[in-house]
Amino acid sequence: MRTKLALLVATALSVTVTVAVPAFTAGTAQAQSVPAGYDPAYAKIIEAANQEGALSIYSATDAAAVSELLKGFEALYPKIKLEYADQNSTEMYNRFISEAAANTGTTDLMWSSAMDLQMKLVNDGYAQSYTSPESKSIPDWANYKNEAFGTTAEPIVFAYNKRVVPAADVPKTHADLAKLLAEKPDAYKGKVTSYDPERSGVGFLYITQDVQANKNTWDLVKAMGQTGVKLYTSSGAMIERLTSGEHTIGYNMIGSYVFERQHKDPESLGIVLPSDYTIVMSRIAFIPKGAKHPNAAKLFLDYLLSKQGQQAIQARYMGSIRTDLASANPTAGVPDSTLRPIHVGPELLTYLDQVKRLKFLKDWQKALQGK
Amino acid sequence: MNRATRIAVIVAMAIAVLAPIGLVVYQSFLDGPFFQPKISFTLSAYEFVLDDEDFFDALYNSAIIALGMTAIAVPVGALLAFLMTRTDLPGRRWIEPVILVPMFVSSVVLAFGFVVSLGPAGFVTLWFKSTFGFVPWYLYSKWTLIVIAGLTHVPHVFLYTSSALRSLGSDVEEAARMTGAGPLRTALTVSLPMVMPNILYAAVLVFFLGFELFGLPLVLGDPEGILVLATYLYKLTNKLGTPSYQLMAVVVVAIICIALPLVALQRFLLRAANRYVSVKGKAAAQKPVSIGVWRWPAAAMITAWLLFTVVVPLSGLVLRAFVSSWGEGVNLFDVLTLAHFRELMEFPNLTRGIVNTLLIASVGGALSVGVYTMLNLAAHRWPSGWTRLMDYLVLLPRAMPGLVAGLAIFWVFLFTPFLAPLRQTMIAIWVAYTLVWLAYGMRLVSGALLQIGPELEEAGRIVGASPGRVSRDLTIPLIKVGLFSSWLLIFVTFMREYSTGVYLLAPGTEVIGSLLVSLWGTGAVDLVTALSTVNIAMIGGGLLLMSLFGKRSHG
Repeated sequence: MRTKLALLVATALSVTVTVAVPAFTAGTAQAQSVPAGYDPAYAKIIEAANQEGALSIYSATDAAAVSELLKGFEALYPKIKLEYADQNSTEMYNRFISEAAANTGTTDLMWSSAMDLQMKLVNDGYAQSYTSPESKSIPDWANYKNEAFGTTAEPIVFAYNKRVVPAADVPKTHADLAKLLAEKPDAYKGKVTSYDPERSGVGFLYITQDVQANKNTWDLVKAMGQTGVKLYTSSGAMIERLTSGEHTIGYNMIGSYVFERQHKDPESLGIVLPSDYTIVMSRIAFIPKGAKHPNAAKLFLDYLLSKQGQQAIQARYMGSIRTDLASANPTAGVPDSTLRPIHVGPELLTYLDQVKRLKFLKDWQKALQGK
Repeated sequence: MNRATRIAVIVAMAIAVLAPIGLVVYQSFLDGPFFQPKISFTLSAYEFVLDDEDFFDALYNSAIIALGMTAIAVPVGALLAFLMTRTDLPGRRWIEPVILVPMFVSSVVLAFGFVVSLGPAGFVTLWFKSTFGFVPWYLYSKWTLIVIAGLTHVPHVFLYTSSALRSLGSDVEEAARMTGAGPLRTALTVSLPMVMPNILYAAVLVFFLGFELFGLPLVLGDPEGILVLATYLYKLTNKLGTPSYQLMAVVVVAIICIALPLVALQRFLLRAANRYVSVKGKAAAQKPVSIGVWRWPAAAMITAWLLFTVVVPLSGLVLRAFVSSWGEGVNLFDVLTLAHFRELMEFPNLTRGIVNTLLIASVGGALSVGVYTMLNLAAHRWPSGWTRLMDYLVLLPRAMPGLVAGLAIFWVFLFTPFLAPLRQTMIAIWVAYTLVWLAYGMRLVSGALLQIGPELEEAGRIVGASPGRVSRDLTIPLIKVGLFSSWLLIFVTFMREYSTGVYLLAPGTEVIGSLLVSLWGTGAVDLVTALSTVNIAMIGGGLLLMSLFGKRSHG
């Protein structure tokens, strides 16, 4: 009790002193607050952020999955009141552009798995540029002009029901899956599940990535169409039905959700990182120009990309974007040449063009119907 | 109320309703979001939607579902109300709170409960298969959807009808019984016709609810891709990659075009509402009709309905909350766990969400009933153009599917300078809920009002009471039962509502519904079912207490 009090007094003193006479005590005070390896000038951002005293985040990742991450930030910067609002990615987008148009100031950080919507906002000029001290630790493809940052590395996987699918059937590559469905159409009739690209934005994104990575994708889609694939709009609905055996093979599932579920229910759920190529998606974060608390947002972005923040993300199976933590990722051991990370950049906007998008959906429909 | 107050109240309501609706209609004629700088008027949104075969597919499905569920819910609900309120059916007191259960479980969660029990790998299905060797049903067909939608909307009809039946004197039924009519004949030719306005209201509302049905088709229509208007909105967004407000607005305009003739039809059917006056200026004691041997088929019918709409989905849901896995090849006893509840306890902001939900449902609900009563009194016994306007207005907010309504109300708060500070408070959420559920609360209260004979109020006026005094000391006490059950309905409705508030919710104003939805999106079904189980236990306990208390206070 006594030592705690003493510590509190000491901390309070050092903070007051920093504010009062920064020139003399800068060295000691910064050693306490500026993260290791950062420029000492970072203290200015911390100070400004503490002045702002609040931080609002719009996120498509549910609060339960990031509770450790958020707690870590609050412990580091107790003066900043964190407001974390989770919502679905379309709602986030609607809310953001409306608030930006109303000129009342926007949220401070946008963090979403809908990579294309995020990139559209950045491309439309809503993001401010910030050179994060952590940016040297993340790959180039995950940093777009210091405006948009990929923050996770989540493989897109096959999932299957271990109790029902015989080990010999488990597909290792996309070609395996197409072959399996062609050879045993009856055993897998109505048993394969995936996102519906016509109704789900992420589903659309992954299948367009497939088409870029693999020229045989349409054959796979045909094979799935022939076995009466069941298409869904949410991963919860699919994972639940995979564990129950209602469906047995899930195609293009988001790795983090499946790994999390497998951890709880190892008997039911099996996961394959396809060995021909594995798509890797990343939740994109950016700081809006209209942010009311831009400095607090910078602190959070840096923390999110820092080792500590990324470890909290890894603990929830989302996979770290940092090159120095990659060995603890779900994709560890997979050669780089196999991984197909979805680059954070304007190429994500290709299919937001209405004509191209509708054309792609038509092709999808055709393949699904076996034409 | 005097004329000036009446007009003021109606004008205030018109503004509140027309602001979001007007915004949406305006949006439907633009080529981009209304708040963007360079926009122009165009009909291209109409062209796109009317050229989209998915739209007609969804419209057709919605119409079929709405019709089908009305055809199921209205007769079952009305009969149930008669049995519960007018007869000596054994165990009524205990059955009644259970009847309301399908109303207070979020429909997404209820639908998921059906998946766990009756889905292709559901535990009832697996049991049936192992016992009889085949499964005669398929959960994801359109017809199953209609049956489930119909049976889960029985409580709405029940509530509207039973509140009216309660304030009906028994004299007419006794007369019918004495002249030799059986209980069924009494119900069909005497009791139920007496409360026809309420049943008609309920029918129109259920039909309308069918049009904006979202949760059930979202879960049960997913595997076969059955589109309804509300899920079509999602598909529309995804077809273009980014949300396209003008296209969504066109869909809303289409629903409005269906709503207005419906109101006209309803007005036509009720053109002589005073045919149904049942509370007159004389005492009429209530005595239950004895149904004798009929009690067994009646009890069997109620049990079957309860089994299907309450026991089956809820057992699936609660079961799922206590297991880590389910389905083919799983022995449920091996996978029992309390882990989901432990995880739930650690969930951030859970308590705040629960408290907020209880607050908005109880206090907010009571305030809303107050508003609805005011509006009703403003139109009460006042045949004029103003009240006709009102009849058309009340149904309009519901013409917007929840998500669009939420977005439109959010815009009104965001872009109206003096409202902006309220945007992230519970007040905004309350306004949104009150507006969206206007038709329901209004109908409940007005159903009760219609039953009061004009001579009572006239007597009040003759002995010199002011219009305000008549309302306060005469009309309102007479419709006390109606008000109580309105509040009950609003309580459960607000308790599970989420879509309307989605854009208004901010950290600090979370409600359980929003927590459920955000968890469902990421596949945290463990937490969803655990939270729903807690939610059901909470409301179930509350309802039980209330129904006991309610019995005593007016029994």
